[in-house]
Amino acid sequence: MSDSATVAAPPTHAAARAVAATKIYGSGDTAVRALDAIDVTFEQGQFTAIMGPSGSGKSTLMHCMAGLDRVTEGQVLIGEIDLSTLSERDLTLLRRDNVGFVFQAFNLVPTLTAIENIMLPMDLAGSAGDTDWVDEVVSATGLADRLKHRPSELSGGQQQRVAVARALAGQPQVIFADEPTGNVDLNTGAEILGFIRNAVDEMGQTIVMVTHDAMAASYADRVVFLVDGKIVDELVDPTPERIRAHMNQLGA
Amino acid sequence: MLKLALRNLLDKKIRFALTTLSVVIGVTFVVGTFALTDSLRSTFGDLAEDIAGETDLTVRAAQQVGGETDRPTIPDSLLDDVAAIDGVVEASGTVQARNVVIVDGEGNAIRPQGPPALGMNYSSRVFFVIDGRAPDGPGEFVVDATTATGNNLEVGQTYTVNGPVRSQPFELVGIFNFGSPDTNTSLGQTMSVFDNNTAQQFLGFGDRLMEIRVLVDGDVEEVQSAIAALGHEYEVITQETAAAEQSEQFQSVLNVFTSILLVFAFIAVFVSAFIINNTFQIVVTQRVREIGLWRAIGVTPKQVSRSIVVESAVVGLLSTAIGIAVGMAVSVLMRAIIRASGFGLPSGPLVLRPRTVILALVIGLGVTMVASIVPAMRARRITPVAALAHDYRIERSGWRMRVAVGGAVTALGVACLALGMAGVGSAATVLALTGVGALVTFVGINVSSPAIARPVVRVLGRPIQALFGMPGKLARENAARNPRRTASTAGALMIGVTLMATTAVVGASVRNSVSDALTDAVSADYFIRSEGSQFDPATGFPAQVMDDLGDLDILESVVGYRVAFGGMVVGGQSRDLVSADFDAVEEHLDGGVISGSIAAGDPLTGVALHVDPAEDLGLSVGDTLEATFPDNETVTLTVAAIYTDAIIYGNWLVDNALWEQHLSRRDYRFGTAVVAGLDDLAADPQLAQSQAELLERSEIAIAETVAGFPGVIGENRAEFREANEELVNSIFAVITVLLGLSFVIALVGITNTLALSVFERTREIGLLRAVGMTRRQLRRAVRWEAAIVATFGGLMGVVVGMILGVAGSLATPDSFITTVDVPFGTLAIYVVAAALAGLLAAVLPARRAGRMNILDAIAHE
Ligand SMILES: Nc1ncnc2c1ncn2[C@@H]1O[C@H](COP(=O)(O)OP(=O)(O)OP(=O)(O)O)[C@@H](O)[C@H]1O
Ligand SMILES: [Mg+2]
Repeated sequence: MSDSATVAAPPTHAAARAVAATKIYGSGDTAVRALDAIDVTFEQGQFTAIMGPSGSGKSTLMHCMAGLDRVTEGQVLIGEIDLSTLSERDLTLLRRDNVGFVFQAFNLVPTLTAIENIMLPMDLAGSAGDTDWVDEVVSATGLADRLKHRPSELSGGQQQRVAVARALAGQPQVIFADEPTGNVDLNTGAEILGFIRNAVDEMGQTIVMVTHDAMAASYADRVVFLVDGKIVDELVDPTPERIRAHMNQLGA
Repeated sequence: MLKLALRNLLDKKIRFALTTLSVVIGVTFVVGTFALTDSLRSTFGDLAEDIAGETDLTVRAAQQVGGETDRPTIPDSLLDDVAAIDGVVEASGTVQARNVVIVDGEGNAIRPQGPPALGMNYSSRVFFVIDGRAPDGPGEFVVDATTATGNNLEVGQTYTVNGPVRSQPFELVGIFNFGSPDTNTSLGQTMSVFDNNTAQQFLGFGDRLMEIRVLVDGDVEEVQSAIAALGHEYEVITQETAAAEQSEQFQSVLNVFTSILLVFAFIAVFVSAFIINNTFQIVVTQRVREIGLWRAIGVTPKQVSRSIVVESAVVGLLSTAIGIAVGMAVSVLMRAIIRASGFGLPSGPLVLRPRTVILALVIGLGVTMVASIVPAMRARRITPVAALAHDYRIERSGWRMRVAVGGAVTALGVACLALGMAGVGSAATVLALTGVGALVTFVGINVSSPAIARPVVRVLGRPIQALFGMPGKLARENAARNPRRTASTAGALMIGVTLMATTAVVGASVRNSVSDALTDAVSADYFIRSEGSQFDPATGFPAQVMDDLGDLDILESVVGYRVAFGGMVVGGQSRDLVSADFDAVEEHLDGGVISGSIAAGDPLTGVALHVDPAEDLGLSVGDTLEATFPDNETVTLTVAAIYTDAIIYGNWLVDNALWEQHLSRRDYRFGTAVVAGLDDLAADPQLAQSQAELLERSEIAIAETVAGFPGVIGENRAEFREANEELVNSIFAVITVLLGLSFVIALVGITNTLALSVFERTREIGLLRAVGMTRRQLRRAVRWEAAIVATFGGLMGVVVGMILGVAGSLATPDSFITTVDVPFGTLAIYVVAAALAGLLAAVLPARRAGRMNILDAIAHE
């Protein structure tokens, strides 16, 4: 029972945390409580899936955790940094250096080639990045021969893989992905998910992914269920069947 | 559909405002120009009537040759003859001369900028003394109130006045309002007024008069014919004619002013058209999906294009209305400025003629509608698929086609320009050819320039990328992203830069030509002129200056020069006349005599002329010709010499003695002096020391003499040359500044395009910010994108301007431009200025991009 020692120790294994995070949109009668005092921790090297019905606050959580938006109450921490203490500029730098983000679509700058998109955060920082690491990421995308192509010359799946590669390339503390497979067919989705899983297993990345698809969520180490801005349930080592069962149970 | 079009306008307020702004600027310019000049014109007309109103008939010498300043005089004995005629109540003689310059208490010559400095005789009917009394006696004069207050002239003080003949001190005994008892309407002229005799003597009229003003009791026509019967060398004009002539004189000045302003208004409108066209193109592109949706739900292509046209009509109408209002405000402001600058402008109504409103509508509405035609046609081609497609592009003509068509149009424009600059046809044709040529050339370049936009912009962006890293790269890529848009935005800027560059090349060529001519042809050591421009035909200095200089022992000889445009008629044509002293002029200025000798010409019957008129008229040395002068005398002249340099001598040169017999002006435009013995010293290097000493002594002697005539300047060779170069420079600088206005409009265009582009890239900007681009980096990217586009415009402008300038200089006759010079430094500055203008224009769009909310941007559809 040496657990007490562990509890007292600083939680170095948390890549990102939300503490009593609340997000309210609007005010008065029209106010919407998109996040309702959420406590959640994303462990380093873990792949977490977030699921929940439409409008449950999944995207809001992603945005607040990634420093794209600020919570109304409570705290969001990336590593040990409390985002609410950061200025607008520092928040931007944090996004650039410590956080990766993958959207459902339109992830790439159309005027830049695939490799330029991958290098974008590092180029913005004016740093070369870790070349070996970037090489590893690039070869993992399987797009080595298409690096000089512009986004318009790539398929949707290829574009998403480039987007994930960009999120990975800067070795951020955590990567948030909001329905990264929402816009592609099943096979392509599997391709992208394989790539993400690989990044966690082989490269030790921390990834949080929103999805509606039980199949996709089953790639994760853990599934968190969100309803009405609250975390209602959690599932470790999920399988598609268990996830579906849970979803039905939640009535979503 | 109307509703849809209006909805669109309201939804995009900023875009709408920016589009409107460019049209408003053009319309404002046109309306402001017309309202101001119409108002001045009506004021001047009233004033002319006021001035003439006091006189029923005016008697003066009939004149066939020369301008108004060269009108011959009439004997003052005529005054009695006129007064003796039945029905004449009063007859008074008037004299008037230009270049009567008062020296103020501090010893500075009071020389108005533009309007003449007049000397006149007193008449209680037009000069209303408000302080002191009327002049009476040889040592007295009065001045107009504006001149007096503006220069602190005090009644009771004595001031030196430089007249056409000599310089003399006068006591100021009074101050008057001209034209009306209540306000001075001297229109910026300085008026020194003397009593009759003093004016006649001091202004060089002797016992002669310029005009006789007659008051009639009874039948004016009868009196008019009675006076006319006194001799056919006189003419008698009525009050109406006098008023009409007076106001025509005012108007001729106004017309020049109006034409200049209108040229710039035209340029402004033309540049605006580019911007409007560009805006509508972008708007159509941005609305492709929306238009596709309309099409999908059953809107016909015709309705689509109609909605664009309606939108442009609303923009056009509204901006015309705003432009008219702002234009009127500007003209009121301009008038206030003119009045505040001591111009002595009477107040009058603000005139907005229907013509002005119609023109404003044609320009504001017309240009907007025309500029929207192509975008409207393009919008028609949008199919319902556009609503669904991700990356829909409207089909457009290929690059090859573009270059071919653009090239052909450009060639056509250049051909027109070439014809215009070569001076084919009348002045009006030349202007029209040049104007249309320039216009067509710009359109042609605009059609083909997208083909080169991408590669050029890529090259221009390279250093920016190297300098600023990723923001620089994004700036470069974005500038190259849409070549048509880039070319069109740059095109608006190109127009202004082209005109400025052309002006720079022509200006430098003129300056060098003048300089060269002065270096090669000038052997005089000193140059005498009055303050202000010697290019102004009205300026001059008292003849006495040259007489006094002639008395100096240290000078070997002096020559005074006079000029009369149209001062002589030969072979049925008016000829510009220069007079000098035949015996010495060749030693002062070398006009390149190729046959005969000027010095050998008879001062009273000799003439020297340029080879061109000599060839035209088949004249050679020794031949005779009949010349008629402003005093209506026809004299048989003998050709003494033929020369090649028209910059120095003009086309026709006579002796001052001949001039003084037949023309009335006595002041000199210009003078030269040669130092005695200097050439001998120069030949011997041993004597360099004494040469310098001699120069120094002569300089002092000349300075002492000239000091007696404030406002008159004596310059040595280096100073003279410098003054001339400066003069040419300043003329071209004024033109350049005015042309620079089109720069401002182009700025609006860049801002507009950029704002639309930023809006178009909302999503992309959100993405960039999400992955860690700071606001600063983002703003920097937008600014440098603008700088690259603007530099592209500046470069195109400089290249085209250089070509036009060189072609223009080559096409100009040799009497004006002999050497072609390209001022690369100035042209480089223009390119840099264009880049800076781009940075400036991008400030607002950049800020807007920086302020975009990331989440909104990401959610943006
Ligand atoms: N900018 C906003 N202003 C007001 N309300 C908002 C805003 N963004 C989101 N909401 C509301 O907050 C709640 C959570 O929205 P959120 O986008 O996080 O849901 P979601 O779980 O991502 O849904 P989906 O699965 O459809 O993407 C919803 O009720 C939504 O309407
Ligand atoms: Mg969502």
